[in-house]
Amino acid sequence: MTDIVEARNLEKKFGDFKALDGLDFSVTRGSICGLIGPNGAGKTTTLKALVGLSDVEGDLRVAGRDPRVSRHKLMEEVCFIADVGILPKWFKVNQVLDYVEAVHPRFSRERAEQILSTTDIPANKRIKELSKGMVTQLHLALVMAIDVQLLVLDEPTLGLDIIYRKEFYDRLLNDYYDGDCTIIISTHQVEEIETLLSDLLFIDNGKIVLDAAMQDLENIYSEVLIDAGHYAEAEQLGPIYHRDILGKRAYIFEGVDRNRLRELGEAATPTVADLFVAKLRGAKRE
Amino acid sequence: MDQLKKIILKDRYSVLVATIIIYMTVLMVEGLLTGREARVIDLENPYFDFDVRDWERFRQSRDDSGSTSPDSA
Amino acid sequence: MNSLLPAQFVALLRREVLENRTLFIAAPAVLALVLLVFALWIISMAPSARIAEGVEYLSIMFDGLSPAEMAPMFLMPAIPFIMMLYACVIIYLLNALYQDRKDLSVFFWQSMPVSNLGTVLSKIVTVIAVVPVFYVAILFVFYLLVVIALSLLGLSYDVQVAGLGYMFLAAVVSLLLFYVSTFLAALWLLPTIGWLLLFSAFAKRTPVMWALGVFILLGFLEDLIFGTQFLGNWIESRINFRQYIVLDLPMAMDRLFSYDMLFGIVVGAILITGAVYMRRFVD
Repeated sequence: MTDIVEARNLEKKFGDFKALDGLDFSVTRGSICGLIGPNGAGKTTTLKALVGLSDVEGDLRVAGRDPRVSRHKLMEEVCFIADVGILPKWFKVNQVLDYVEAVHPRFSRERAEQILSTTDIPANKRIKELSKGMVTQLHLALVMAIDVQLLVLDEPTLGLDIIYRKEFYDRLLNDYYDGDCTIIISTHQVEEIETLLSDLLFIDNGKIVLDAAMQDLENIYSEVLIDAGHYAEAEQLGPIYHRDILGKRAYIFEGVDRNRLRELGEAATPTVADLFVAKLRGAKRE
Repeated sequence: MDQLKKIILKDRYSVLVATIIIYMTVLMVEGLLTGREARVIDLENPYFDFDVRDWERFRQSRDDSGSTSPDSA
Repeated sequence: MNSLLPAQFVALLRREVLENRTLFIAAPAVLALVLLVFALWIISMAPSARIAEGVEYLSIMFDGLSPAEMAPMFLMPAIPFIMMLYACVIIYLLNALYQDRKDLSVFFWQSMPVSNLGTVLSKIVTVIAVVPVFYVAILFVFYLLVVIALSLLGLSYDVQVAGLGYMFLAAVVSLLLFYVSTFLAALWLLPTIGWLLLFSAFAKRTPVMWALGVFILLGFLEDLIFGTQFLGNWIESRINFRQYIVLDLPMAMDRLFSYDMLFGIVVGAILITGAVYMRRFVD
């Protein structure tokens, strides 16, 4: 089995609002998958569904289990950091370690303490006395000391300053990721994680609008900068999106041969951020 | 059975309603089977049939209803 | 069942105590302190002849009784502690499955491999068996301080105080009765525990309003639709204060194995099961 997450036709309604509207996707083992979408697109609902914290309809298997039925069994194999899920404020740092050590069979206290020793988090402080950055560091240290198959991170760096954000991702990639485990990250700050992703999922209005491996992007998507006056030629090839830059126009194409595009101008692979805007805006224009 | 479970576990309201229905059913069936007293709280209150034109009778009925205040003894 | 492994369950209980140390430890400790200060104040007001008389009377009051026979008398000074325990436990139960949803730490708790059953059971065991332990410990210190104070007073007035030691022994035996009483009372009130937990897990805000409101509404509807008051009858069956105190162990056994106790546990189990399933919905 190569897919650690298999989701088919997930649906979730809050009243009349469809948070998830027939979501289909899968995540390959060993990948680092970015779930990217605007606010309210269904990112958090999707990730909570993966760990059994949101009841959704449809077929869902995570690490071979249905998270709705056996959340606590699943959580031995999966770690989750929620976007707003703060650690309990009244815990002291070493009490959290005690708790996770007793409760989680795959937690290595040694490793957690070793990671914490590289930070300035004092073991005797209560969590409410720590800064937001420190709490995130602590949570990451806990999670990194647990040997799981899948790590689910929902906006893990929300509200952190740039230094903590950089450190967070560096740590995750260098100290944690070993190729065996799978990481799913949701964020709306695409630029920051672009380089570490291996797979990309765009979500909008409860639907997946793009599902691709990073290495395939260049075969599918191209961005061409075209001088004024040649727009019509570009339009003929059916671009999915364009934007104006300093009197020129950048067109993004999907599934158009690079060699053909080179006749129009220099073709490159669009950045994830540009692609994101293109896919979302493009979808709305139709 | 699976269908029933699905309905009960649909959302927090269905769980609440299902729990309360089972709870009340068990409570009432047991009460009837074991012959527990079915009425314990008497909600009749002399103040409720107060008639302004019959002030004397109202006072009478209030005193009769077993008030323990010293001046009525 | 993995979630009920001893080590994990102990960690869950530890969490409850750490999180609620104000309710479980600070509250009764402050009560004990207030009572001690109050007692000292009374003594300081009394004329010395009365004090000497009083201590002497206390030291011979129980002459000829064994500590076990004396023990029930010492449940009397524990009554304020029992009332405090109930008040704190009600607050605790209403918040137990609500507070973490409100402050969003629920996403941390639920990201651990702990089942909903384990979580809910840990709250119930905390109430039934763990909280009374702290009360017993605080009452022990409380009685010890009272006896020491009385002995010092007695010695300073040259009164025989040997009887006070005997009295302390009885007070210690009474702590066993205290523990058994609160343990049995919690079982006796298991339906209430289940009811509060159910609404603690259910409510998006103010669980107390939901718990009370639905109860009253339900009693009203039962009367209206079926013309019966079994819900009211249930309340009436639990309001007698004597039910909450046991005076000796045979009495405890009678209570434990009575039909009403067992039926209460069945009804409580229904509500607790509801609370376990309700815990699935955290957002």
